[in-house]
Amino acid sequence: MDHSTATDDALVRFARNGDMAAFEELVARHRDKLYARAYTMMRNEDEAIDLSQEAWVKGWQRLAQFQGESSFATWMTRIVINLCLDQLRKRKRQRAESIEAMDEESGGVERQMPIVMVNPAAGLEREDLRSRIDEALGKLTETHRTVLVLHEFEQMEYKNIAKIMNCSIGTVMSRLFYARRKMAALLQDLKKAG
Amino acid sequence: MMKTEMQLKLQAYLDGELPASESRGVRDLLANDREARELLTELSQTRDLIAAHEAGVKLPETREFYWAKIQRAIAPESQGGRQRSPGVPLLGWWRRILVSAGAVAAVAIAVLLSWSHATGGSDAVTISDGATLFTYRNYATDTTLVWLDYGSGTDFSNDSEGAKLTP
Repeated sequence: MDHSTATDDALVRFARNGDMAAFEELVARHRDKLYARAYTMMRNEDEAIDLSQEAWVKGWQRLAQFQGESSFATWMTRIVINLCLDQLRKRKRQRAESIEAMDEESGGVERQMPIVMVNPAAGLEREDLRSRIDEALGKLTETHRTVLVLHEFEQMEYKNIAKIMNCSIGTVMSRLFYARRKMAALLQDLKKAG
Repeated sequence: MMKTEMQLKLQAYLDGELPASESRGVRDLLANDREARELLTELSQTRDLIAAHEAGVKLPETREFYWAKIQRAIAPESQGGRQRSPGVPLLGWWRRILVSAGAVAAVAIAVLLSWSHATGGSDAVTISDGATLFTYRNYATDTTLVWLDYGSGTDFSNDSEGAKLTP
């Protein structure tokens, strides 16, 4: 059996029957995506590797629950996101939120930011741009970064983000607005500095 | 300056989350308000930039190394054995096994050493990185004292360690 040419659905069927080679092929196909999602949320390579591996272990344990309503990659991505959210909640309990987050919760900060008039991507090479976006993402609070990840990368609707983050739709909209405006300002600053 | 409610409506319009009944109001605003148009442009550019970002993030481990750790965690389950908790860090799990194995090996070496010495005295053998085995044999009382030293900077509080007295 050549696993490399099989579809994800076929590999899932084999894996459900205990075929670890089939599961390995699924890991090989989607490991970068899972790691990238964990890294974007956690901002730490080791933590992202551990959490993405833990997600694969959970995926294996729960293969019987995968109904095929979404793609296998999407299903696995949801698992790693939930693990990251759990980890972030643990962290949040262990320390107070930053002053920046408190400002946002009380409202109003994002309204006072000047609008960025120039496209911050203009004139930048792809790799340079990627590293600058990465740097800017790292300057957001975990809460704002998470909303961005769920909306921009996962294309989740406001109501689903509210559900997964256990908050109101209005809070999601406010956090997303703040996160985008902050990113625009940070990218503008990075461009000036570069 | 626009009210917060209108700013959030503008964003919802951009994201396709604004009800059709409210979209007309936003379109009218965009037609007449320069600040609203600029804000929409900024939000749109930022959204597109971020969405394009993740493509370049790659796992910094080889396929084999990454898979090996997953395989170790799921293999006992597939073989009908007890599943190790995914919450336990993989490195810590291996470390505990290695330390336990090292302790068993140390005791075995100690027994061999105590048999091989014809006269009384002490000995020291390095058995692993940072771990040393000491023995003391007293033939007058026919006893052998054996102890393991992992060094002062090492904490193996959960592992077996210390002296054994053999007749």
